Amino acid sequence: MSQETMSRRDALKLGALGAAGAMLSASQAMAAAPTEKDVKFDEEYDVVVIGTGFSGLAAAAKAAERGYKVLILEKMGRVGGNSVINGGGMAVPMNKYQKKHGIEDSGEKFIADCLKAGLGINHVEMLQTIVKRSNDALEFALKCGAKFQDVKPAWFGGHSAPRTLVTENMSGSGIIQPMAAFVEKLPGCKILTRAKMDDFVMSNDGTAVLGVTARINYRFDKNLLNDDIENKSGEKKVYRAKKGVILASGGFAMDKVFRKMQDPRIAEDQDATNHDGATAGAMLKAFQIGAMPVHIDWIQQGPWASPDERGFGVAPLLTQQGLFVHGIAVDVRNGKRFMNEMADRKTRADAEYVILREAPKAYPVVIGTYNTFGPQIYPQVDKGLATGVMKKFDTLDALAANYKIPTDALKESVKKYNETALAGKEDEFKKQTLKDLKAAPIDMKGPFYAIRLMPKPHHTMGGLKIDTSARVISANTNKPIPGLFAAGEVTGGTHGASRLGTVAVTDCLTFGLIAGETI
Amino acid sequence: MRSKKTLFSIGVFLLLSAMSLIGSEAATPSPAKEIPISAEMKEKFPIKAHHAKLSLKCTDCHENQGDNPENFKLIGDEGCLSCHKSKVYLAERLKFMDTLHVNPHNSIHDGPKLYCDECHFEHQKSDNMCLSCHSNDVKLWMRETP
Repeated sequence: MSQETMSRRDALKLGALGAAGAMLSASQAMAAAPTEKDVKFDEEYDVVVIGTGFSGLAAAAKAAERGYKVLILEKMGRVGGNSVINGGGMAVPMNKYQKKHGIEDSGEKFIADCLKAGLGINHVEMLQTIVKRSNDALEFALKCGAKFQDVKPAWFGGHSAPRTLVTENMSGSGIIQPMAAFVEKLPGCKILTRAKMDDFVMSNDGTAVLGVTARINYRFDKNLLNDDIENKSGEKKVYRAKKGVILASGGFAMDKVFRKMQDPRIAEDQDATNHDGATAGAMLKAFQIGAMPVHIDWIQQGPWASPDERGFGVAPLLTQQGLFVHGIAVDVRNGKRFMNEMADRKTRADAEYVILREAPKAYPVVIGTYNTFGPQIYPQVDKGLATGVMKKFDTLDALAANYKIPTDALKESVKKYNETALAGKEDEFKKQTLKDLKAAPIDMKGPFYAIRLMPKPHHTMGGLKIDTSARVISANTNKPIPGLFAAGEVTGGTHGASRLGTVAVTDCLTFGLIAGETI
Repeated sequence: MRSKKTLFSIGVFLLLSAMSLIGSEAATPSPAKEIPISAEMKEKFPIKAHHAKLSLKCTDCHENQGDNPENFKLIGDEGCLSCHKSKVYLAERLKFMDTLHVNPHNSIHDGPKLYCDECHFEHQKSDNMCLSCHSNDVKLWMRETP
């Protein structure tokens, strides 16, 4: 992984790609979106939805329930995008499970929590809409067949109350699978997989969206640098959407080119927690027809991930509910701590990047002993060791030797950390989980557990601007673009600089439902 | 001694036969026709050992696709399932893996719904889709994808 800013070589490479693309399809690169007179519609629907994640399916289900004929286009072979590999947590302020367990909550508290994590740049009217409608979105998901655990809601980081519901199978698939089945059973509704939307079809005056051009039998190719531009597979189709198009194409955390343009710290070959198809193509098409961009370069990265496994993996559990709590993260070059291991996601990812930009392969290591693991993740400890993501050492000397950390400096860091915590003093990074300890946070008897750290792009906060009715706002007119609606990660502004954990499902289902109601 | 008339009728007969042969060839390609597999073809389109053992010929899978392997098309789920029955049947066969939620044909994420060629490729190395998120634990669950 290279952590350098965009080098001259990269610029040349991108330039060459651009030139090749231009030569291959000069007309395509120059052309504006096709208009009604340029196309012949192959099929006609009331609504065309792009994407089969939480927002796409919620929008389709609602529109179909209202009697509309709905076509859903999904470019990947599997239904559900990131939603189907997500952990199934949904934060709903003032939900019925909270009431059942006597938990006090309020909309004001929820909005304050989101604004704090979002550094105050959130679009508050969107959060207010979530407060107003997220219980409806939950009820709608339940109606479609989603099943949630009937337990006391979970308390996630950054939330001031336990308000997170988790699906019965602890995966977003617990919502996606029943919702997809619900949609497919409604008359006139169809999900097409391996079907990629290419362009919006505009009215002859270029102001309204009338449909889309797409390719069926398209095959996403993860080996391409930029699938959206380079992939030519599939056969062209043109679909008319009489009531409009709902864009629910998700975020771009796996778009090798576009994400690096926004944040040059993210190398092209850097892994993310997302599925391979999370690219910017469809969002860029919306910008092409005038959609207003918001917060595009705020990309949330998980500081709890490891370079020693792909995707989300097991490290995030073992660090967040384990090694970070009582252990320390050190710079392998000098054996010293460099961050509050319990700070927010952005602060920690930034601290890790300071090291990785100076020395791209010097992945920081987090170290702790068994007392740091919560009982709920004991089974994961074995998994972490069996898969090699986490390693176990009998002594600090052996650990230091393995990661080439200066031994004496590491021992000094551990000693100072333990002494400060036991003396009841605040440590240099103001870590909040070291109060009232009866024993040293790092047990010198060992054994010592360690995981290498690397930030992974997780959620792209930015996207296109929608109003509280999920209508896409035009940057040319500051008014809704007729015929275009959007919901979910492709939209921006709701979460500001950084999204709180388990609010993505809420955002997607709420605005998906609203899009399906508005259209 | 043959008259010109006889020769002419034989000629017409031969011509018509030839036409009918070509005609029938174009209308209904004979599925029984074997395509000779050269060493070069074998290298370009290798097949999996378990299929080779059954002496499968090109046209057993690429039915009604002519006789030029270069022009063959993907056979899709329907092609695979013409022998392998159904996705639910395949999921049932690996039911013992459900205990640990690691049945690739009935995963927590997708159920028995994935395209066969999300993971299985006949003429190139298969690619286990589970690996894209579970890179390190797949080896604890299963062997290499056939």
